[in-house]
Amino acid sequence: MAYLSLQNVSKKFSDVVAVNDFNLEIEKGSLVSFLGPSGCGKTTTLRMIAGFELLDAGTIMLDGSEIGNVPPNQRDIGMVFQSYALFPNMSVRDNIGFGLKMRNISKHEIENRVDQVLEMVRLQDTAKRYPHQLSGGQQQRIALARALAVQPRVLLLDEPLSALDAEVRVVLRGEIRRIQSELAITTVYVTHDQEEALSISDMVVVMNKGNIEQVGSPEEIYRSPKTRFVATFIGTANQFHGAVVGKDSILCDEIKLVANGLNNYSISQKVLVLVRPENIQVQTEPPLPHGGNVIEGKVETITFHGAVTRLGVNIGSQRVMADITVDNAQPISLNQKIWLVFSHEACQVMTETL
Amino acid sequence: MMKKTHDSAIKSERRPRPALWQIICIVLFLFYMLLPIISTYVFSIAKRWDRTILPEGYTLDFYKRAFQVSYFGSTLRNSFILSLSTALVILIIIVPTVYWVHTRLTRAKPLLDVLMILPFGIPMVVLALSLVQIYNFPPIARSPFLLIGAMVVYAMPFMYRPVVNAMQAIDANTLTEAGQSLGANVFQVLMQIIIPNILPGILSGGLLVFSTVFAEYTLTSLIVGARFKTFPLLLVEYTRINGNVAATFSVISFTIAWLASILILWVGSKGQHTTADTIRVR
Repeated sequence: MAYLSLQNVSKKFSDVVAVNDFNLEIEKGSLVSFLGPSGCGKTTTLRMIAGFELLDAGTIMLDGSEIGNVPPNQRDIGMVFQSYALFPNMSVRDNIGFGLKMRNISKHEIENRVDQVLEMVRLQDTAKRYPHQLSGGQQQRIALARALAVQPRVLLLDEPLSALDAEVRVVLRGEIRRIQSELAITTVYVTHDQEEALSISDMVVVMNKGNIEQVGSPEEIYRSPKTRFVATFIGTANQFHGAVVGKDSILCDEIKLVANGLNNYSISQKVLVLVRPENIQVQTEPPLPHGGNVIEGKVETITFHGAVTRLGVNIGSQRVMADITVDNAQPISLNQKIWLVFSHEACQVMTETL
Repeated sequence: MMKKTHDSAIKSERRPRPALWQIICIVLFLFYMLLPIISTYVFSIAKRWDRTILPEGYTLDFYKRAFQVSYFGSTLRNSFILSLSTALVILIIIVPTVYWVHTRLTRAKPLLDVLMILPFGIPMVVLALSLVQIYNFPPIARSPFLLIGAMVVYAMPFMYRPVVNAMQAIDANTLTEAGQSLGANVFQVLMQIIIPNILPGILSGGLLVFSTVFAEYTLTSLIVGARFKTFPLLLVEYTRINGNVAATFSVISFTIAWLASILILWVGSKGQHTTADTIRVR
């Protein structure tokens, strides 16, 4: 059995379903992200694990025992908040030592542990300062140190980086991952930032409207999204609506696409085909027939994104996004006629949900 | 063109010279406010001041007489006991209530806000007489305990507002959850996290209650009267015996109130540092 397990967990706020029949097994020492738009129930689920919200139904098991009715201060679960929630009246040292003091640990031992975690978050020289004397990034490191000082059984992070600027965010998420791996502490990380979730997690749980859409490794979530929501929420995907016309072909309006894994679909069944912009090759000359997908179109928009340039290509029935890298030899201009080329594997097929 | 608008913007920011009528208003207002106080101070050291514009001479004799009044010490002591215990009782009631309403029972907040205005709407004579009639059994009847109870009702709003404001300035919910996740129970959170962070509000509320109760006359006079004579009762009594001595009592009362106010201002200025600077969520 998994270390932390949520079974049939549900939560309603008056009439609004916040979390609906949530089932998840989390292995000891792993970092799991809850990813989804605001209001998807990710924070509510986290708060139920912490004990700040009561469950309407279901059970939460931690290390073999049920914790659903254990008060939050006895769960031994550390939490880091979006707003840092450092105690303004206490110095950094006292903030970090607070949890240890509550556990009646000797002064000497507290000193040692505080020094240890301060070193871990690389802020040894701030021990005597007060929270308002620190930058946002430093405050969040101290909040992390404070949560880790008591060596909790599980660490929960509730959008810990969303109040920080982009640069600090990237550095700090690396730090969080580093410390988490060093300590091998079971961690649940709530975020609405897909890049954050994909870059630091062992497992990503994509949530929408209180339900789990998909659970998987970051690669699985990105490469083989199981639902349309996941496909569109994670990264960008071109959508082609069509119907199965053969064992490997789909007709989307006038365009015939070839794709793998159509065995599970019947002829004339309506399907949705997703193709990511980075999986599309752009060619300025008509390609030789090679068995893959080729669509002819006209460039309508060119948007520079740094590492890639994104083209908006009119293919008649719709606009398709395709990425080209900077070192692409042929310069492409607006209204230029081009050919979009992509393989079977680039097509992700799923049932059309109405 | 651009420069012109820029210049006029700077000009409009400059403070205009006050008009004559504004100066007259301010002088009249200060005169109205300060004249009675200054006169009281002067009267307490005036030898005789009923035939001339300025006193005929100055003396500290009335202070000597005031300190020699047999009730002086006991009334001052009674007033301190009354004010301090009222402030303490209010503190014990208000702080946990406000904390609870802010974190757990937010729906009750409008109700509490209304309740805290009610004492201002009840005439003190009505409050005193109804309390005396209802609590007419020993040992409460007309006792200092009943008086403290009445004072608690009367002065509670003076504590409520500053405490609510201080509580709103901190993120009490998240701080509580942070404390709980670190193993603290609600009582430990209240004592070690919440109270230290709203301390400026508690102190200024406490001082407001103290100075209000210290100067209160009606409730004291109607509920306990001579059984538990307070300083304002002594003062009123002396206005009928010797005006100059009564003036010295007023001066002493003023001084205590002013010391309390200075303390409020000082605590308030310290409080600005701890609440506004420290609590910068996001």
